[in-house]
Amino acid sequence: MSSGTRTGEFVFEQKETIAKGSALYSEHIKLTDKSHIAAFAGFLMPLWYTSISAEHQAVREAAGLFDCSHMGVLEAAGPYAKEFLNIVFTNDVNKLSDGKAQYGYIIDAAGNVLDDIIIYRRAEDKYMVVVNASNEPKIKAYFNAMLNDEAIIDADNADRRLDNKPAVRDMRDVTSGSDCRIDLALQGPEAIDIVLELIEDEQIKGQIKELKPFRFIETAVAGIDCIVSRTGYTGAAMGFELYVHPDKAPELWSKLFEKGKSSGLVPCGLGARDSLRIEAGFPLYGHELAGPFNISPFQAGYSFAVKLDKEFFIGKAAMQEEAERYNMAVVRIELPGAKGIRPVRGNDAVLDDGGDCVGWVLSCAKVSDKQIVLALVSRDVIKEGETIGVYYLARKEGQVRKGRKQEVKKGQNVQADITGITLSRFAKF
Amino acid sequence: MVVKGLAYSKEHEWVKIEGDEAIVGITDYAQQMLGEITYVELPEIGKEAEAGDDLAVVESSKAASDVYAPLSGTVSEVNSKLEEKPELINSDCYEAGWICRIAIKDKKVEGLMDSKQYEEYLKGL
Repeated sequence: MSSGTRTGEFVFEQKETIAKGSALYSEHIKLTDKSHIAAFAGFLMPLWYTSISAEHQAVREAAGLFDCSHMGVLEAAGPYAKEFLNIVFTNDVNKLSDGKAQYGYIIDAAGNVLDDIIIYRRAEDKYMVVVNASNEPKIKAYFNAMLNDEAIIDADNADRRLDNKPAVRDMRDVTSGSDCRIDLALQGPEAIDIVLELIEDEQIKGQIKELKPFRFIETAVAGIDCIVSRTGYTGAAMGFELYVHPDKAPELWSKLFEKGKSSGLVPCGLGARDSLRIEAGFPLYGHELAGPFNISPFQAGYSFAVKLDKEFFIGKAAMQEEAERYNMAVVRIELPGAKGIRPVRGNDAVLDDGGDCVGWVLSCAKVSDKQIVLALVSRDVIKEGETIGVYYLARKEGQVRKGRKQEVKKGQNVQADITGITLSRFAKF
Repeated sequence: MVVKGLAYSKEHEWVKIEGDEAIVGITDYAQQMLGEITYVELPEIGKEAEAGDDLAVVESSKAASDVYAPLSGTVSEVNSKLEEKPELINSDCYEAGWICRIAIKDKKVEGLMDSKQYEEYLKGL
């Protein structure tokens, strides 16, 4: 979307920090070569342990365990927590009851998407807010600015400030003590049996079996206190996120492998996390959401998570305009992807069957012998099942010298290098 | 893994000198960094390259990486097996995963490291 002249942009300059090992770093270096570990959002995280494709396949067919301790975990508590979250969040917190979670967006008053998040209601006055690793410092600063009456919350009334304030804390910070929580994701069809094996109480087992997506319970797994949530970002029909104290995370990690090895549980890195979410069709902040194309929730296909019928939330006026005028949308495309086929990459041109550029590639993942692509294209131009082409942009100087273009503009006509078909917006597994 | 008897560049290419010709590939370190290699853009036979010029492009699902000419010369042969089986670079980067042969210009081999020096170089990265 084009965020025009509206005031209230939240400007945040992120400081470079030296990446540190996650709470599970000692486990990772036992499992993989250091060359597969890279700095991501301030943490040294495994990109893969054995291979991205093997880990991807394990999640689709058995189970995978991901260290997601880089994800930000905040808490809003107190009598005004709900009111505060309903102001900063596009979805409707009033629809949550204890043990339910909700996906939505944090948008500044100017209409810029600051993050996509999940809010978990632990009690009427206690909410866990899980934010993207790369956005965590920004969201903390944004919340702080609001609590200090320094942020614009209403573009039409720049003097408006919060009437009431919640208590906000960082649940990964040592000051949260025994309440500290970090995220481990156990995803795939075998995930349920692995969790059940680590729980003795028959009643709790029953509750876990009945747990629907976006529901959670607080219980002990392998004797360790956890928030056990039917969430995750892999598209797996079955999967949990286990929010655990960082000091207990290595023990839980080991116990899950002890029980899970026989059913095919493998450790999974950030590479498979990315290819799984691409295959599922989920946006990643900076790629299918915000980022260089400033993609809105409507363009990303998530209008259901922006409740325009809510009385107020920050950025509502901008979202109302966007809902009426957005003309680009994210689509999912399948292309051939066997070995020896050049992978498509971000910004490669997406073409209609006549070779006219209708948009650009945002993300691409290799899934068995296919490539699954998320692209931003003219809305309603490309329909499910239709043929679509991609033109590879020059990636290296040598290719430019051979005449390959470095940029293709919308409407420009070029010859497709590879063709495939448009899929449904989201995959079902 | 570093193989004795080969010469190495700072950009992680290896070179095997055979008379007036050099066989070129990428090192184990480079293939580890790239992950699963899915595509190799081979140079054209007859291409004249100066040391440091781009020679080939190796792509994995995560990154595209240039392969630079470790020495000056003319490409005399390419490993066309990589077109169908780019993963040979992952499984056997020093043998079956070779990329091309270069007829060395003026028989000059300069600025490369031996296996010991390359091992030291890797330790410093």
